[in-house]
Amino acid sequence: MTNVIEIDSLHYRPGKGFALKDLSIHVPAGAIYGFLGPNGSGKTTTIRLVLGLLRAQSGRITVLGDAMPGDAPKILARVGYVPEQPHLDPTLTVDEILRFQAAFYPTWDHERAAQLLRQFQLDGERLFGRLSKGQKAKVMILLALAQQGDLLVLDEPTDGLDPVVRRDILAALLDYVSQRGAAVFISSHLVHEIERICDWIAVMDDGRLVTEVPMEQLKNGTKRLRVAGAPATLGPTPFALFAREPGTVAAETWVVGEWKPEMAGYFPGIGASLQEVIDLDLEDGFVELLRSFRVSRREGSA
Amino acid sequence: MFRVMLYTQWKWSRLIILLGTIAAFALPIISLQGAARADRNPLAAQDLLRAVQSWGTLYPVLAAALGLLVAMAGWAPDHRGRHVHALTLPLPRWRYVLLRCAGGAALLAIPVAAVFAGAILATATATLPPGLQGYPLALGTHFALATAVAYAVFFAVSAGTARTAGIILGVCGAAVVVQIVAGVANLDLDIVGPLRMVVLGSAGPFAIFTGRWMLVDV
Repeated sequence: MTNVIEIDSLHYRPGKGFALKDLSIHVPAGAIYGFLGPNGSGKTTTIRLVLGLLRAQSGRITVLGDAMPGDAPKILARVGYVPEQPHLDPTLTVDEILRFQAAFYPTWDHERAAQLLRQFQLDGERLFGRLSKGQKAKVMILLALAQQGDLLVLDEPTDGLDPVVRRDILAALLDYVSQRGAAVFISSHLVHEIERICDWIAVMDDGRLVTEVPMEQLKNGTKRLRVAGAPATLGPTPFALFAREPGTVAAETWVVGEWKPEMAGYFPGIGASLQEVIDLDLEDGFVELLRSFRVSRREGSA
Repeated sequence: MFRVMLYTQWKWSRLIILLGTIAAFALPIISLQGAARADRNPLAAQDLLRAVQSWGTLYPVLAAALGLLVAMAGWAPDHRGRHVHALTLPLPRWRYVLLRCAGGAALLAIPVAAVFAGAILATATATLPPGLQGYPLALGTHFALATAVAYAVFFAVSAGTARTAGIILGVCGAAVVVQIVAGVANLDLDIVGPLRMVVLGSAGPFAIFTGRWMLVDV
């Protein structure tokens, strides 16, 4: 098994308006896969489809080698899930929640659960409904880790948390991954967090996949170029041209993807000169990707 | 699995079960109070039967209330969490529903047992007028079946979405409104009557709630 999650040509339309269209995603085994996108882009819907909570109109989803939703119970026994909103019963104590969860997972690791309870400084006697937002997030991640899954699916697990809690949670997560070699599918709009921990990245916008690449390729391949003397219309380029912005009289700014240094040779060929290559961080790259994606869609639909 | 499911349902519905059990135990004893007092003449057979019959109307009400409340309490936390937790547990959905259903049914066995115990105790300690007999087991069985029917129906309704429950209530409400309008307009239309016959008649699913709930009878 090379991919822990494979989504092929997925279509899902819950009603009028929003739809996932022709979505294909491949999460390699052992990867920490970041799933980025603005609010309402379809990240949570995709996760719910991956977990069998929703049924797609067409397409194929395979998780850990088994078909979803057909083999849902078998798959879910090996998947740790942290939802966007804690969904546990607020009238149960933390200990009661742990006992409940343990009964359903044959692989439940009591020792790890106890250790995480101590590490997160959680009071087992406390009602879940009385916990702070950060403590609830810790309980959710504890449950996902103690069930010893081969895949963790995390839907904005640290959204709205303070930096200390966020750091605690990410540390526990990375520790688990390094011990178990599990794959992680994490959705977020905290670009810097994704940049820090992920080795693969996918970007969604308006129900469509914008890109799916190794993190290094996106980080190192997205550049801002200062170009002088370029013609108004261009033929095919060896890189992905995301944006072309007028600058000073002498030069304009191009935002490009899939950039490699040897591509500098392209500019003399069109009568232009490349003056400067500026590195972009992931956030800039993400914004430029979305911008160019939206422009190309507008042009495509015009 | 069943143990933790039962525990959570006990936690959610323990107050209902506790109050229901007290009422279920007390009801047969109170209904035979007149017959049980040895310090004065027992009630005449006719009076006792009347008292037992009037108290008897409370058994189906209690059975329906217990079925409704335990069914609702069993599903309420899942509804609050939009079923996300339940649906991400590694077991088939039908099995989860079965576990929830069995948990509630097991809890309802407590008030049912209380009716049996209260009825046996009441008839054993009462001085019954000649010609009358106690039927504690029949009453207990009647109560158990009524509770089971009420629980099954309300469990099924509660398992659905608010929309499903709304449709069911809407259909019932519409039938009543049409009947009222027909009555006001002097139309020869009787919807509720045949519906009542179908539902509460001898072959109907709710026939168990009708009839005589007599702890003591001839």
